[in-house]
This record gives sequence, C-alpha cells and structure tokens, in this order.
Amino acid sequence: MRRILNHPSLAIGLTATALFALIGLLSLVWTPYPIEQIVISRRFLGPSPEHWLGTDNLGRDMASLLMAGTYTSFLVAALAVAIGAGIGVPLGLAAAAWGGAVEWLVLRLSDFVFAFPAIVVAILITALFGPGAINAVVAIGVFNIPVFARVARGGALSVATLDFVAAGRLAGLGNLAIAFRHLLPNIMSLLIVQGTIQLSLGILSEAGLSYVGYGTQPPETSLGLMLRDAQGVFLIHPWLTLVPGLCIVCIVIALNIAGDGLRDAIDPRLRQGQTNVVA
Amino acid sequence: MSLLEVENLSVRFGDTAAVAGVSFALERGERFGIIGESGSGKTLTALAITGLLPEGAVVDGAITLDGTALPQDERAIAKLRGKRIGMVFQEPMSALNPLMRVGEQIDEAIVLNSLAQATLNVNTLLTEVGLEPVHGQRFPHQLSGGQRQRVMIAMALAGQPDILIADEPTSALDLVTQRKVLDLIAQICERRHMALLFISHDLKAVAALCTRVAVMHKGRLVETGPTTQVFGKPQQSYTQKLVAASQFVARRPDRPSLGDTLLEVDGVTREYRQGGLFRRAKALRAVDKISFSLASGECLALVGPSGCGKTTLAKIIVGLDKSTSGTVRLGGTAYRGTDMPKALRRDLSLVFQDPFGSFDPRLTIAASLAEPLRLEGGLERLMVRERLVEAITAVGLDAAMLDRYPHEFSGGQRQRLAIARALVTRPKLVVLDEPVSALDVSVRGEVLALLTGLQAEFGLSYLIISHDLDMVRAMADRVMVMEAGKIVETGTPEQIFAEPKHRLTQESVAARLPEIG
Repeated sequence: MRRILNHPSLAIGLTATALFALIGLLSLVWTPYPIEQIVISRRFLGPSPEHWLGTDNLGRDMASLLMAGTYTSFLVAALAVAIGAGIGVPLGLAAAAWGGAVEWLVLRLSDFVFAFPAIVVAILITALFGPGAINAVVAIGVFNIPVFARVARGGALSVATLDFVAAGRLAGLGNLAIAFRHLLPNIMSLLIVQGTIQLSLGILSEAGLSYVGYGTQPPETSLGLMLRDAQGVFLIHPWLTLVPGLCIVCIVIALNIAGDGLRDAIDPRLRQGQTNVVA
Repeated sequence: MSLLEVENLSVRFGDTAAVAGVSFALERGERFGIIGESGSGKTLTALAITGLLPEGAVVDGAITLDGTALPQDERAIAKLRGKRIGMVFQEPMSALNPLMRVGEQIDEAIVLNSLAQATLNVNTLLTEVGLEPVHGQRFPHQLSGGQRQRVMIAMALAGQPDILIADEPTSALDLVTQRKVLDLIAQICERRHMALLFISHDLKAVAALCTRVAVMHKGRLVETGPTTQVFGKPQQSYTQKLVAASQFVARRPDRPSLGDTLLEVDGVTREYRQGGLFRRAKALRAVDKISFSLASGECLALVGPSGCGKTTLAKIIVGLDKSTSGTVRLGGTAYRGTDMPKALRRDLSLVFQDPFGSFDPRLTIAASLAEPLRLEGGLERLMVRERLVEAITAVGLDAAMLDRYPHEFSGGQRQRLAIARALVTRPKLVVLDEPVSALDVSVRGEVLALLTGLQAEFGLSYLIISHDLDMVRAMADRVMVMEAGKIVETGTPEQIFAEPKHRLTQESVAARLPEIG
C-alpha cells in the first residue's frame, strides 16, 4: 500500500480509473433516467438540474447514457483483455517452457495475427457474424492474444535462465509444472502492466468499432455509439460530441497513467532510494 | 603533505549511511589497498573521490588533493578525473565502447587529457601495458578479458595521472590472467611513481600488491596499517576473522576409506551446432570424450579456466543437458543426461553457484526445499515437514526460517539453504558448482566446513567444480584439470601442486598468489 502512495501517478491513475468503473457499474442499478426513454419534446436541452448533462437528439438523458456507455466500454475492453490473457499467456508460457516446435508455432501464429490491421479484421468479424457487443469483444480479444503471448514468452524466457528453474527441473518438475509454479508468478507484474495498457487500447477499439457501426447496437449504448449519434449535429450542438469524447479521453489517460505507475512501482530497477544497487 | 587526503568522509542514501567517518591519506607513489566485503562501502569511497557517486547520495567530509579541496563543479571535476586520477573498473567489457576500436578509445582519452608537453601516443601506451600495436586495431569483443583490462589501464594512464584507482580490476579474470594484470599494475606504479588505490575483497591480491591496507566493514574503517602488520598481527576481531577465513583449513585426515564406484562417466561428448541454416560450420565440442569415475565417499574436484566445459559436463551428469554421445552411470544405471530415470534423480543433486538466483523469490523457503521431495512420492505432509526440519538443522539454520522468503536471507545463509535443498532427498552424490565463489570471504570458510561436516555425517560424495585452486586443495581427494573440453591431468592435490605436469596446471599453480601474513 505504501508503494502505491509513493507513486503519485499510480495513485491518481488508479483512483480515476476506479471512479469511471464505479460510475459504469452504478448504471446497472441506477441511472437518472432510463436510457431507452425517448422524449422528443425534450431534445437538445442544455445542462440543467433535471438533466445534468442535457439531452440528446432523441431527448434521452445524456448523464444516463454516459453512465451506461462507460459501463459497456469497460465491459467490452475487460472481456477482451480476459480473452487475450486467458489464451495468450498459456501460449507464451508454453513457448518458453517447451521451446522448439511449440515456440515456432506460437510465434508464427502471433506473427500471422499481427500481420492484419486490427480494426480491419474486427470489421470483418462483425461483418460476418453481425454487429453487436459480443462480436466486438471477440474481435478485440483475438488481437490481444499475440500481445499477451509475446509478453509472457519474453518475460518467461528471462526467468527461465535463473537457477531456481533448473533446481525445479532437477526436482523432477515437468514443463507444465515449471511454467505454472515458477514462471507465471514471476512474470505476473509484467502481465498486470500489459493488461492495463490493453484495457485502454480495448476501450479505444470498442469506441472505434461502435463509431463505424459494427460494435454496440441501440438501444444499448456505448461511448463510441454516442459519438456516432452526435456527429450529424456536431456544428449545431457540439456539446453532445464533447461529452462522450472527453469521457473516452479521460478514461484512456487514467488507464495509461495507472499502467505507467504500476510499471514504476513493480519494477525494482526503477524504484528510488535503493542503496544495495550501487554498493 | 599527502597527495590525497580523505577526512571524515561519509556517504548517505536517505537515512542509511553507506560510508561513515572514513579517513585516510595516500602518499605519492604509495600502493594503498582497501579491503571489504560486498556492501562494505569500499566502492562508494572510491566513487566519492572521483565525484562519480550515483544520484541521491549525500556526501559529507573533506577530500583534498595536493592540499586543495575537490571542486564541486562537475566540469572542473571532470577535468581532474583523467589528469590527476585514473580509474580502472571491474568489468572491462562494459567499460569499453563495443563499437569503437580500442586504439581509438585510447586515443580519445589522450586527446581529452592532452597536456601541452604531452608526447604520448597510442602505441607507447599499448606497449607500456604489454600489448602490441596491432591490438589497437581490434574491437573490445576481439580481445580476451585480460587484454581488455590492459586496455582499460592504458586509457587510465593516458592523462598521466598521479593516482590510479583500481576497483576490483581482476575479479572477473581467471587465475593466470589475474596474476599477470596485478604484476603489470605493480610495475607501472613503480615506473611512473604513481600512487595506487586498490579496492578488492581478495586479501591475497591486496597483500601481493599493496604496502599499506585499510579494512572496511559496514561503512567504517576498522583497521589501517602496513600490510604485513594488519595481516600478520590483526588487532581488531573483524580483521582476525577475515584473515582466518581467507586461509582454508585443510580437511581432517580421519576420513572413511572410499567405497565402490558410484559414478562412472564414459566417453561423454557434448557438441553444439553452429552456423546458419545452409552452411553448417563445424560443431563446437564443449565436452570432448571425457571418462572418469568417482567412488562413494570421495570428493573429486574438476578445475579449469572459464569456458573449458566443466559446467556443461556437470549439467549432463545431473540431467539438465544431454550428451551427444557417451553415457553416464550412477549406481549401475546408465543415462545420457535429460533422459535420466526419475527414480535416479533423488540420488543426486546440485548446488548452484549463485545463491541469489537459486531460490524462487515468490515461494517460501519451505516450498522451495520441499520441491525435490516430490521425487520420493507418497510422503505425508507431516513427514515432509520433518524432513525439511532435518535438512535445515543439518546446515545449521533454524526451523523457524522455513516460513520466510528468500530475500530475507544473506548470501551465506542462502547458500546454506541451497545445500539443505540438495540434501533433502538424502542423495548419494552432490555436485557443487563453484559453491563459494559468489560468497564473501568471511563466510566461505564456514560453508566449506559445513560441507566437510555433512560429508562425514551423511556419507556423501562430492563433485566440486571450481577454478579456485586453494579451495580445491583444502577439500578434494582427487583433482582433475580440464582444458578445452578435455581432461589434461589427474592426481591428488599434493601431486598436482608439488609437480604439475601439464602446461595449464603449471601456469595455474605458478599464478597462485602468495599466502598472506
């Protein structure tokens, strides 16, 4: 806990991220107005005590939409990270622990996925299986797999040269046991940092997919979808674009600050005031 | 007036004092040594003198050179370094620029420190440090460790300094080269009438080179005086301990007689493929048709310079690597390395060189020690705990330490724990890969005594891999000398030291530094 407080950027980033996540979660149980409630007579209202952030072109409450949209963005990005880490990390560990043909296969597979521009294939997937939040999750998740596989393999390779891994092999541990008992716990910090970065990239990708119409579909909402709805009236009502846009920017900045802070806090080489490094 | 005077120097990092109240003086042409274990603050003292302390260090006290205080200004002190003070570092590979020919690097040092009357050139400096002009055309990676250290010395000499600071200049080198570099430093200091500040943990190297020494412990100077006096009649208890620890006590003669053959190595060869996909270069033979046997209860030492293949051989024996051809037999069962039958693994274990890398930082000591016990199978949890306690008390540590994590232990304690892990399956053969070379001098003796005691207690056989001839002499029943993958000489330590036959053995024995005191 003290380590977190020693890194102001980490504290700020984590607090801001938690705040956005809480706002999103709150939308599950309570929003000022139901988000699908369309009241044309009340459209394009400015911020007021009844509607904190005003209303959009269909008279929906912007504050409610923003809460629900934040939730969707976080959910899609988090599930995508879970898919990426859940498949990518075991692949990377397998590549490091077995080596040889397994490593070759994993690396070529991730090269293959890397070779396609992410957004294009995401559009392809949603175009094939129809748009929707689930397909956005799958599309973004697939692109997280090689990222996690590479990070896990790189970290595991440097851990695998240490003597305690050899000691484990001497004790008769197989590759699987080595990977999960010795390699995984020692690269956990790397994976957490990468996870934070992928989370912010996931939120951006979700916004991008929704914006082009392949992500979340109405009556559900997401930050990208709000941008898309507002772009037609941007010159007359710029407020409607600014609110979700700034919200995306803030979430991504918060996550990036938290990721950088986590890396500083976890990496002992970057820690300040270590005397034994020089002595 | 002394050339260099350090008075009441202290270096602090936050609240911890790394160096406290250190005072000494260095006369012109004097060779002064600072001895201390890792973390004693000896390197920080040297860095304070050159103004190269890392950020965050707070310096207090006075350092005067020829009566004038060291400047605080970075530009002024940078001029001073090189012209007045030359420095040689521990690891020459990382101190040299890998992309520049060494001649150019020496030339750069000359240009930067050029005095009006200077008539230096690269070739004279190269000749002075015992290299030839042709070496100047090479890149650092094309030189050997000893040659690189000579280049570093040449660069330090380029400014014709009054003081040469050498920080562990030989600890990355093998025995023969170490001796040559030490002799070279002594010669140059003599010839140029240059003062030397020599920093080392190796008492013998300091004794061979310096006329006056200071012993440092936990940031303080414990004892200062002429070399013969400090090492011959140490006054402080810490110095006494250090001097005693540097002399290995020979093993007790009342050893049980040797039993049957335990380990047999038969024509083991390990080749590494080199070269690209299409043009296959000749394979590199790290181990070349080695055969020997080891009786139960014996302590066999394998010595040789770094890169001679001794660690590869050890890896094959313990089953971490596989031989290209040839077999190993342990108690009659043959294997080639990684294909070792599981039932055999518990009869043999390995103690690693580096006590800091050999424990998983995320596991408790108990979890790490219990790992090899899964080879036995069917042990109850209570039984496991019992065995762990037995092993940890056998190495002289407390059973309460089992629930702690590796970072809470010192290097010596970790090496004891590593030995405990090696013993937990009650093996017959323990392979020790440089068991004490990563440890501080003062704990080396303890760990070796522990190993000797355990051998008698449990009837163990040892295969020791080392380049430290003094340690081998104290421990081993039989010595094998290895060079370039082949065993070139075998014999008892007495034979090997009294009348070495092979060229390498002769050189190594001749390069040993004289005993201190």
